[in-house]
Amino acid sequence: MTGRLMSSKVMINLIAQIKMFFRSPGSVFWTVAFPVLLILLFGAIFSGTGSTKYSLYVQDLDGSPISEEFVDALNSTGVLIINKVDPGIDSDQYIKDNSIASFLTIPQGFSSSFLPEPERQNSTLLLRIDNSSSSSGTVATIVNAASQSINLELAGGSIVVSTAILGISNTAQYNFIDFFLPGVIGLTAMTSTVNWMVGLQTRYRQNGIFKKLATTPITQMDWLVSLILWQIATVFMSVVIILAVGILAFDVHLTLDPISIGIIVLSSALFSAMGLIIARFVKDEETAGAAAGAITFPMMFLAGSFFPLESMPPYLAAIAKAMPLTYVNNGLRDSMIYANTAGAINNLLIVAMLTVVFMVVGAAISTWKQE
Amino acid sequence: MAESVITVQGLVKRYGDLTAVDHIDFEVYRGEVFSMLGPNGAGKTTTVEIMECLRTKTEGDVTILGMDIERKVRDIKKRIGVLPQDFNAFDLLTVKENIEYFGGMFKHQLPADDLIETVNLGEKRDVYFKNLSGGLKQRVGVAISMVNDPDIIFLDEPTTGLDPVARREVWEVIKDLKSKGKTIILTTHYMEEAEVLSDRVGIIDRGKFITMGSPNDIIDRYGTGTTMIVRGGDDTALQRLQGLSSKVERKGNDIVVRLDSKDVLPEAIMRIHEEGVHYEEVQMRRSTLEDVFLTLTGKRLENGEEVKKGKRVKK
Ligand SMILES: Nc1ncnc2c1ncn2[C@@H]1O[C@H](COP(=O)(O)OP(=O)(O)OP(=O)(O)O)[C@@H](O)[C@H]1O
Ligand SMILES: [Mg+2]
Repeated sequence: MTGRLMSSKVMINLIAQIKMFFRSPGSVFWTVAFPVLLILLFGAIFSGTGSTKYSLYVQDLDGSPISEEFVDALNSTGVLIINKVDPGIDSDQYIKDNSIASFLTIPQGFSSSFLPEPERQNSTLLLRIDNSSSSSGTVATIVNAASQSINLELAGGSIVVSTAILGISNTAQYNFIDFFLPGVIGLTAMTSTVNWMVGLQTRYRQNGIFKKLATTPITQMDWLVSLILWQIATVFMSVVIILAVGILAFDVHLTLDPISIGIIVLSSALFSAMGLIIARFVKDEETAGAAAGAITFPMMFLAGSFFPLESMPPYLAAIAKAMPLTYVNNGLRDSMIYANTAGAINNLLIVAMLTVVFMVVGAAISTWKQE
Repeated sequence: MAESVITVQGLVKRYGDLTAVDHIDFEVYRGEVFSMLGPNGAGKTTTVEIMECLRTKTEGDVTILGMDIERKVRDIKKRIGVLPQDFNAFDLLTVKENIEYFGGMFKHQLPADDLIETVNLGEKRDVYFKNLSGGLKQRVGVAISMVNDPDIIFLDEPTTGLDPVARREVWEVIKDLKSKGKTIILTTHYMEEAEVLSDRVGIIDRGKFITMGSPNDIIDRYGTGTTMIVRGGDDTALQRLQGLSSKVERKGNDIVVRLDSKDVLPEAIMRIHEEGVHYEEVQMRRSTLEDVFLTLTGKRLENGEEVKKGKRVKK
């Protein structure tokens, strides 16, 4: 079987495609530069840099001069933008409605922690933060530091004011970049293979190379096998680059286990086949890019590459269920960040099934023959 | 009689309502250059691509080297070489890499360097295909059509779109292939090309051969014969020539004589080459395939486009 699969014709075409790939700046862009740009761009937007300020919503239930002074102290760190929230508001509802990432509640009786002994009473600041927001760690550190300094000043280090931290969304133990990277991998596996396949198939059909190939003993199958093998290899190049950038620039913690590797291999084949199918309906090379984009762009946004599906309105989430990329993304997240093996295998099986279907259809409708 | 390597009998190809190839029959013999000459849309590509197993036929029988084109596709591919119309190779591979790529598809292949030599591309060996001029690209195409050392080579319009110099360079390559004993099927809209290169020509129009034979035979049969032009001939010359042929005209200072056959040429010269007869020089013009095409179809052929001429109405 492998002997048949790796016939000399497959090897020759594979080597030729590799040479041409590295001689063409366009294909290198989609494989290397595109995912790196995505990570850096989104990384910068969502994790912020040193000069960025973080929003903190503060609900002061104490309403005393002392609590106000504490808020001023937080403000004077220069890192936080303090938004005061009316004490009468239901905080849980407010956080939900406004998608707030950091919410601090100053309890009633906070000022009594500042009374001299023996009236002094301990109090607890309640900080609710969304752990998937990349600013959460910074905010928690600042609030903690502020309460620590009160403790030092008032009680020589023994705890009078403590901070309780609650997660806003209880699934989140990872940060945004951790969540985002598997999405970038799925996205790159899709865009680079679909674009490359559609462009290449359309170009060769149009400029007569397929006609010339049809006069030689290379078969349609040899051709497709070598292209798909090469696409798997390019996707792995992308994965290595994506992980390297993620680790170096954002200190991500992801595992590349056999399941995620399996999903990556299958998705490369799946999206190559999708490219074959799209190419069949594209007339000329000029429209190839547009056709590839018309399919990949909506998928990119709807299949949860950038945002969790749970945060989408239900009708969009329903559409997402119909998109192969959704299962690639879910499977990669299950295996790479959540360590959810059962979920990962489930998605792997769905991706495998879709791959078979797309490959069969793709191979069946691709032809070198003319009427 | 030479061995026949291609036989085509009653071949028909229809695209929907259009009959692109309309019951054609012909044979091609080993070692000859057979040209299909005809205007755009005559059915040349359709016919050769059926022979190359690239398109399906509607009716008829075609054999290549004794093998049926529908049942022996794999065997036929091994023994033919094809330069498709509007040929392209891989832009980002070099000349040599392209030749090796296509060679690698065959079990039996010729060394790329020898082929580069044959088509005279030694200096361009390591140049990307996309950076070659049209003529050089066609020569790469010819080299690639020979990688498997085929018995039969199909060249579909190898010189269309080339400038006259590049065209002649491709002709040299084709002559060279012929001298190597290859059988060549050539399609073209250039009369001169067919005349210079072919042993036999089939003139094709609207899916039918309207005549077939060696260029000389066809010209003798359908041409306007040989025309003698006597520059600056005087009236005595005119009188003497009128006794020889019925088609003698004066055109300004010149006398134009249509000779019914080449055989009367010496006689014609003798008649004016005498004391008391004055003329400056004698020019001969032989009919070309161009004249034949005009006679047969009432149309002139320029770069593949049919041009209706004067008052002639097409049949
Ligand atoms: N795939 C096709 N589908 C429909 N009609 C076709 C197809 N291929 C060719 N034709 C038509 O068949 C006729 C013959 O075309 P063909 O390409 O064989 O001519 P040709 O002699 O090679 O012309 P050219 O000199 O322009 O290459 C034309 O009218 C053409 O439009
Ligand atoms: Mg043609």
